[in-house]
Amino acid sequence: MTARRRSRWRRWLAGYAFVAPAVALFLLMGLYTIGYGISLSFAKWNGFTPSWDWVGLRNYLDLLYQDPTLAPDLHRAALNTLVVMIAVPVGTVAVALPLAVLLNSVRRLRGLLRSVFFLPYVTSGIAVYYAWRYLLEPDGPMNFLLRSLGLGSLSRPQGFLADPSTALPTLIVIMIWGSVPVAMLLYLAGLQSINPNVLEAAQIDGAGSVRTVRHIVWPLLRPITTAILLLGLRDSMQGFQIFLVMTDGGPAGHTDVVGLQAYHLAFFKGLSPTLGLASALGWMIFIAALLLTVANGRMLRSNR
Amino acid sequence: MARARLRSAYQATAAVTVLLLGLVTAACSGSGGDAASGPDGKALRMWTFKRTHVAALQRAADEFKRQSGVTVKVEAISPDDAFTAKIQSAAQTKDLPDVLEVHAGGEDFRIGGAGLLADLTGDFDATTLNRFLPSTRNAGLVTAERQRQIVELKTAKVGNLFSVPFTAGTFGIVYGNRQKMAAAGLDPATPPKTWEEFIGYLRATTKADPKQGGVSLGLKVSQTGFNWMYAQLAYAYLGKERYQALFGKGAAQGFASPEGVKTLSLYSQLTPYWIPGVTALGIDEADVAFAQGKSAFDVGGTFTLAFLSQNGMKPENVLSFPVPPPSGGKISDLRLAPLALTGLSVTSTSQNRDAAVKWVDFLTSAKGAAVFATSSLDLPATDLGAEAERLLGHDLAALQKYFTGPPESTYDAADASFRPPGYDDAKVGPPLVKLSPLKEADPAATGAQLDAVLGAMWKLAS
Repeated sequence: MTARRRSRWRRWLAGYAFVAPAVALFLLMGLYTIGYGISLSFAKWNGFTPSWDWVGLRNYLDLLYQDPTLAPDLHRAALNTLVVMIAVPVGTVAVALPLAVLLNSVRRLRGLLRSVFFLPYVTSGIAVYYAWRYLLEPDGPMNFLLRSLGLGSLSRPQGFLADPSTALPTLIVIMIWGSVPVAMLLYLAGLQSINPNVLEAAQIDGAGSVRTVRHIVWPLLRPITTAILLLGLRDSMQGFQIFLVMTDGGPAGHTDVVGLQAYHLAFFKGLSPTLGLASALGWMIFIAALLLTVANGRMLRSNR
Repeated sequence: MARARLRSAYQATAAVTVLLLGLVTAACSGSGGDAASGPDGKALRMWTFKRTHVAALQRAADEFKRQSGVTVKVEAISPDDAFTAKIQSAAQTKDLPDVLEVHAGGEDFRIGGAGLLADLTGDFDATTLNRFLPSTRNAGLVTAERQRQIVELKTAKVGNLFSVPFTAGTFGIVYGNRQKMAAAGLDPATPPKTWEEFIGYLRATTKADPKQGGVSLGLKVSQTGFNWMYAQLAYAYLGKERYQALFGKGAAQGFASPEGVKTLSLYSQLTPYWIPGVTALGIDEADVAFAQGKSAFDVGGTFTLAFLSQNGMKPENVLSFPVPPPSGGKISDLRLAPLALTGLSVTSTSQNRDAAVKWVDFLTSAKGAAVFATSSLDLPATDLGAEAERLLGHDLAALQKYFTGPPESTYDAADASFRPPGYDDAKVGPPLVKLSPLKEADPAATGAQLDAVLGAMWKLAS
């Protein structure tokens, strides 16, 4: 072997050696898990029995319409999920954009204000959900505040999470609160990339701030808005932690969502063989997310 | 020089790669068991889903070690979903412990049906099983009826014993705060004799303390309303046969029948008296609310007293009684059969089967059960006989008086023979919550909804 070939061989070896851990991890954690999950969605299994009971597409059909004990609950959860998927991204944009415009126009304390508005993102998590629960209790600070401000009619004697008319809207508000910071930062970045000459020209032409935002800023920020909407859609569809911790789908299923249904099917069925159903539901959510991603790509391309 | 540096770089890269791959491989392979457990029969591992049992089990383990020389390491994995996931993953990696404390009457059969639990028939014969309270003795036994109900038991044999009862108790026990009762002008020593009297008690305590005079129950887990309150009430009003007919295949005698609607109307009388926010409270949170004086009454099981005590509620300030029977009903003196709440199982993968069986035998012996009961304030399934009051204390032992009575007056929560196969109690909870406290449906509509839920289960089973 010539010195040149030896050197090439070593370089080749070094290259593969560097990527090997990542490839190994992907094969073990990625491909294996994906393959396992897909197979499981066509089987009945409780995590214990040595063999799986293959059922073909039955898990999917049961969830969609065939099983009268499962399908109605899933349909209701899907409807709740749809409400969340619409309300959270739209609410996020509705709050984040004006906030970003305001922050962009502020000259003093901009850094501090940015940090303050970014706090919900840094602090969000299970502990914060428990803190929210405390705030929203019947005798919690939220009701106290409303009563103190003379807005007692807005207070909820049963608490905001135990009242069917406020439970889901309250969770939506908390989800918006958690997603506004990142959206605001994206908008801020977008605002700072707008050519100031364009804005100046609009002002010279007599456009007020609302008109400038509506006819110049908003169209220029449309790609960012699209990204925020689609990220919000995906998070709303897949996330279930807030529902698990704060209401567990209650009261009486009023805040049940498909992600929570999948979790319950996997771990709250008294070890019944429902892991396949949970997996099938997970894949149905994945397919919906995939369709959204495709839509995302197309919308982003069309906005260019 | 440069070549040497390059070579060392290659060597370092190769070493790091091998190390990382080794770590990945090690992480993904079975651990081969905890160092605490080994095949020498001198050390055992045990998992429980009840954190409140750990200290008591460990105390019993200390006693067991003095007696046998075998060390037992007890580990709690909670909440329930974490316990389930842990067993599932341990089953896959063949890393199950030697002994499991599981939910009796379901979990043991599903794990046992998968071949992961040892059959204890030869270790606990009929004579040994006589040490347990009568209604709990066969809780872990595979019967033809259970094989019909639980699909995972199809490969098991009738007569297999997958667990022996460990703790026992029953649902449908109401706890009253004596101080709040006295403040409302009620006799804190006298429990209500009828459902109507109980509603009267609630009216009085709520009038005395509108915000904190109601009743608490963990309705975030919606089926608790059905299993811990409604079932006992309906059973007492309708009697055994008519109550069981509510769950029948045809809806003619179901929940929407006049008798069924009457029981739902009785239950809905609770509506004005639930504490605020009750549907957002978990089971433990509802008990904590009662212990903190946020409710005058709390509904739970025999196991609730220990939890209340751990949360600062003095047992002497608690009046306990079973869900009172409605007047004009079939049963005027309702009794509640104790059922095995948890069971002890030996895993089939245990390398210390003999020692594990000895540990289970010790825990369920009069001596072991006494050590456990004294430390945990939980009722053991082992019949402690005359020693019960001394070991459990007056208040907990007093609950046992509701266990015995004529069979026709005794509600047995463990009897599932009349329900559809694959019965899922999580499905019957929400309609009842919509009836009370949410008032989203009236009794007739709730009855129709419950019949539809049961009908779907029967349809699935056929």
